[in-house]
Amino acid sequence: MRRTGIVSYWRQYLAISPFFLVFVGFNLIPVFFTLYLAFQRWDGLGDMQFAGLDQFKFLIHDPTFWLSVRNTIIIWVLGTFPMLFVALIIAVMLNAGVRFTPFYRIAYFLPNVTSLVAVALFFFAIFSSSNGLVNAVLHLLHLPQVQWLQNPFAIKVVIALLMSWQWTGYNAIIYLAGLQTIPSQLYEAAQLDGAGPVRMFRHITVPLLRPIILFTLIVSTVTGLQSFTEPQVLFGSTASVNPNSGGPGQAGLTMMLYFYHQAFDNNDYGYGAAIVWALFLLILLFVVINWRLVARSERRGTR
Amino acid sequence: MELSRRRLLQAGLLAAAGGVTAACGGSKSSGSGSGSGSKDIALWYWAGGLSDKVVADSVTHFTAQGTIKPSVIGGDFKQKLTTTLAAGRSLPAITGIKGEDIAALLPQAKQFVDLNTLGADKLQSQYLTWKWKQGSTQDGKLIGFPIDIGPTGLFYRADLFEKAGLPSKPEDVAKQIVTWDDWFEAGKQLHGKVPKSFPVNTVQSILSAAIGQNTVRFIDTNNKFVGDQDHIRKAWDTALKPLQLGIDAKINDNSWNAAIAGGTVAAEVGAAWHGLDISSAGPDTKGKWRVAPTPSGPANIGGSFLAIPAKGDNHDLAFQVISWLLNADNQARGFTDASLFPSMPAAYKLPALTGGDPFFGGQVTIDVFGPAAEKIPIAYEAPADAAVAAPYYNEIIKVETGKDANQAWNDAVSQAKQIAAKQGVN
Repeated sequence: MRRTGIVSYWRQYLAISPFFLVFVGFNLIPVFFTLYLAFQRWDGLGDMQFAGLDQFKFLIHDPTFWLSVRNTIIIWVLGTFPMLFVALIIAVMLNAGVRFTPFYRIAYFLPNVTSLVAVALFFFAIFSSSNGLVNAVLHLLHLPQVQWLQNPFAIKVVIALLMSWQWTGYNAIIYLAGLQTIPSQLYEAAQLDGAGPVRMFRHITVPLLRPIILFTLIVSTVTGLQSFTEPQVLFGSTASVNPNSGGPGQAGLTMMLYFYHQAFDNNDYGYGAAIVWALFLLILLFVVINWRLVARSERRGTR
Repeated sequence: MELSRRRLLQAGLLAAAGGVTAACGGSKSSGSGSGSGSKDIALWYWAGGLSDKVVADSVTHFTAQGTIKPSVIGGDFKQKLTTTLAAGRSLPAITGIKGEDIAALLPQAKQFVDLNTLGADKLQSQYLTWKWKQGSTQDGKLIGFPIDIGPTGLFYRADLFEKAGLPSKPEDVAKQIVTWDDWFEAGKQLHGKVPKSFPVNTVQSILSAAIGQNTVRFIDTNNKFVGDQDHIRKAWDTALKPLQLGIDAKINDNSWNAAIAGGTVAAEVGAAWHGLDISSAGPDTKGKWRVAPTPSGPANIGGSFLAIPAKGDNHDLAFQVISWLLNADNQARGFTDASLFPSMPAAYKLPALTGGDPFFGGQVTIDVFGPAAEKIPIAYEAPADAAVAAPYYNEIIKVETGKDANQAWNDAVSQAKQIAAKQGVN
């Protein structure tokens, strides 16, 4: 027998194995454990009781769960689409040969590496209704003040702004890298044909960036639907009564925060597992929809 | 031998591997403690759970018998405790348990040592009965040894009361305000004469106190859901009265601090430790606040316990440490150092507690909280109690922002029933 395949490459497999061992141990196995847990009733310490589909049945009838789904989707929409659009504009502007481009690249990327908790605390201070900076500026411009952290919709806007703050720079850098792969001859040829900047953007830049836009959209969907740190830091408390419930009217209660509240505050790990798997299905659904919408035209284009 | 990159890498890997195994071996020997003669007592608590000075003194007090190793655990204390209990290893000899977590840990009583077997039953008479019961299982095993309690009182702005023509001395207030209705009457008068001040900050705080005044909560001792019955309905209606009378400030968020400082909130029903929250929110109002007994009787909010995990070491010495840390003198010191209200009536007569409090204009607050502590009712708290109570608190806030009260009640009850069923309650 020829010693081909795995056996002859064992050194290479050994070299890459640490990551996969850690991945299997700390990511893959817990994922299946959570699936198993979704069919049990467990408080973290005692014995597990088999509960069949009870957790899922309760999930479907739980108004708070559906509230968290609505909140999650609204926050995702508010925090992703404007953010990606702005990131693309920034990338196009940076690509246009502004001076000090490296400085701008670093500056735009910086929010992505700063601690989200620290930024959330900062946002908590400036969006405060009575003595926050934002309301002070609105007052100066003779605009009506907004109860940023009390009004249900305003709460979602603040959380979406937090997400945008963190991810705009990251996506702009990715788009910038993509823009630099577009050959400039295309733009020159279009200019010769009399196209203005907007037409060039619509007919050259966007179609050629489509795979990258798809990538950023998928990544933003997966991370945006899992937002947890923002509402938890903005409204979390160590209160002994009903902590981590997403602020006034539970307007900031995302699905991840609801999962955290059920599993770790109420010691209901089985129900938490069910919520998390529902979130997984939701993310899968949105990713498939995004893929269908964005990738489909690409297939047509290359034919 | 030439110094090639390959040789450098090999040497580096060997050194790293050697370092890792040395570190592993080293930490193992310091992990489990017992067996080498000196007894190690690891003590886990959260910041503010015990007085740090008292803990430091315990280390010197017990040096002859063993080494106490206190650790202040930051972050989510309950989570860390639960994970370590589930793992079953490297458990501390003594751990704190927060009041809001004790109900969920009592069903797991076999994870802890029954302190009565170590001599706690001899100390039972020195501590408050209801607190002792709160830390015990239904069949009488003591899991949590009482640290502190949170007896409620009515904090009020004496200067604003005077302005409104109400009695301002605590004794006079206590005579006039005996029930919730008396309080709401007085509140109406206060808001009428001082329009920018409200006697109630949010209906949630009234609901919390009213529920705590009962001897039954949301689930009775037979594990049956009783959240739809009269005693809860009465608490709900009581909590909504200020809203209907227009004396509710509707402040349930971070603007509370400014409201206290500015006088928008003229009174608070809260536990003894709530006085600290008030003084940090409104330091300029020092000397203007007083405390009176809670209308319709005291409730308890907060207060924690110390427990001995069954898989920890040195149970007998651990219990000696616990009973020393929580004797009358040290509980009084806990009050001065960390505002931990003692769970031992004997401590109420000590000088640390009988001195006047300058924030309350020199009032001896123990005169209100001491009798309140002894009158707190004994109520069974099921592990699912907090989860079942949540819908009531969420819905009552919605009434504050305009929802119909009856609709909110029905929604709260139906949701609570579903949650109870999910948690295995009848």
